[in-house]
Amino acid sequence: MAMTVHRRPDAAGIGLRLPHLAEVVDTRPAVGCLEVHPESFLANPHATELLTDLARHYPISVHIVGISIGSADGIDRTHLRRLQAFIDAIDPVLVSGHLAWSTRQGEYLNDLLPLPYDDDALNTVAAHLDEVQDGLGRPYVVENPSTYVAFRGSTMTEVEFLNELVQRTGCELLCDVSNVYLSAHNMGYDPYGFVDRLPAAAIGELHLGGFTPEEDEGTPGRTLLVDTHASSITQPVWDLYEYAVRRFGRKLTIVEWDNDLPPLTTLLGEAAHAATVTGHLFSLQEASSAGAF
Amino acid sequence: MPALSDLQRSLRDALVHGGTQGLESLLVGGCDPNKRLAIHQRHYRVSLIRTLLERFPATVWLVGSPFVTDAAHEFVRARPPSRPCIGEYGERFPEFLATRPGAEEISYLRQFAELEWHLSRLALAVDAPCLTIGDLSTSDAAALGNATVTLQPGVLYLHADWAIDELISLYLSDDSRDHFTLQSGDVWLELRGVRGELTMKRLRHAEFLFRAALAAGESVSDAALSALEIETAFEPGLALLELVRDRLVVGISGK
Repeated sequence: MAMTVHRRPDAAGIGLRLPHLAEVVDTRPAVGCLEVHPESFLANPHATELLTDLARHYPISVHIVGISIGSADGIDRTHLRRLQAFIDAIDPVLVSGHLAWSTRQGEYLNDLLPLPYDDDALNTVAAHLDEVQDGLGRPYVVENPSTYVAFRGSTMTEVEFLNELVQRTGCELLCDVSNVYLSAHNMGYDPYGFVDRLPAAAIGELHLGGFTPEEDEGTPGRTLLVDTHASSITQPVWDLYEYAVRRFGRKLTIVEWDNDLPPLTTLLGEAAHAATVTGHLFSLQEASSAGAF
Repeated sequence: MPALSDLQRSLRDALVHGGTQGLESLLVGGCDPNKRLAIHQRHYRVSLIRTLLERFPATVWLVGSPFVTDAAHEFVRARPPSRPCIGEYGERFPEFLATRPGAEEISYLRQFAELEWHLSRLALAVDAPCLTIGDLSTSDAAALGNATVTLQPGVLYLHADWAIDELISLYLSDDSRDHFTLQSGDVWLELRGVRGELTMKRLRHAEFLFRAALAAGESVSDAALSALEIETAFEPGLALLELVRDRLVVGISGK
């Protein structure tokens, strides 16, 4: 089976959401990549027309939110065919989605829902991953989820599950650094240890996004972090991002903001900061290896 | 640990209908993981209700936010989305809205909300290259009767029992008049959208039937028969030319 694989930029880009589309078309800002959710475009031919034009000028990363590789019911093949047509038209540098589920018996639950980490789920996800990659004719890069609850019957940790998935399928991973931070906070583990245990060679892309703290109702006095993508990236996440870049190397990084959208310039500023962090790290490394220090 | 499919059924029920039945002993996270599940329950409910309210702003303008919000609450429980494109969610909301207590006093509510649904969908359309009168003149006139035509993707034909086109125009033009009398009576509408632009045009009944039949894939002669049944003076050839002049025809096949 043939797979389309593009050389990927190692720049920083932004999640392009519909309210910013016209401004990006008009102003063509300097940014390394645009990431889109295809589900926002499939029912919007006008937006797709504009995006198709942008795809001639920017690398595009397609981030699927509705294919649900963790659903026990199987993949929605109608949706997969629609995605394939969209992706063929846009020809993105990377296609990704979540380690989660969102559909059941013809219903779409509009959320990225948690999976138990056991053999049953691993078999399901691995089979669906193959089916999606076959259907799209491209690698499908799998993102670590944001977690609030887990399952008592899980036999693996999340990072063990991701390693098993890579071992079994050879897939790549998208490390959402904010999700690592948020999940580690919510579930009580060390985010740096999680990054350490990810298979570095499999990391294909990095994500950053804002979250919203709220009271953990079940645990008075504790804060829960909710993955709202509605605010700036916090300093602890920038610190973890720097650590992740040291470990994984220079990777395409996308800053996502989905709710309470700020002006485009704010989002571009976040992406520029990510580029600065990466650039600074690698200029230091290059200088060091050239004997300047 | 239940099988994955059983676990997902329980989670689905918890999301759509609330509660945590069957999940209490399965979840971990904080001191009370069931309360954390509420984050997913809230997201399901709030995101879909917001989607519906954003999709039907004219309906909110017409009957008020509390009425539409209450209906949206019930709708997201009764009819979860069936497709992962949330922009496509809500097609059946007008029908549902009309069944809500109080809706019987607003007999045009369903048609008004359906009109709004279609307008917001058509506004996203992109037009295709259209045929010209010259293209039509090269056709074999005798064979044209059996032909079917393809119309622009952003065109739709809609019949209403009230002048809801005038009513929604008040909303679209931000007209804040104190009083408006909504007339009852048939209106035959051609709705057209392209790249954010919308037009609504009233048609004669026969013209509507002809164009709607063509849009539904009927042949030119069958469409003409529909029109002639209610207007004996209807001229199909002229009507077809008008359709082309309106830049609505993008293809003719089987001629």
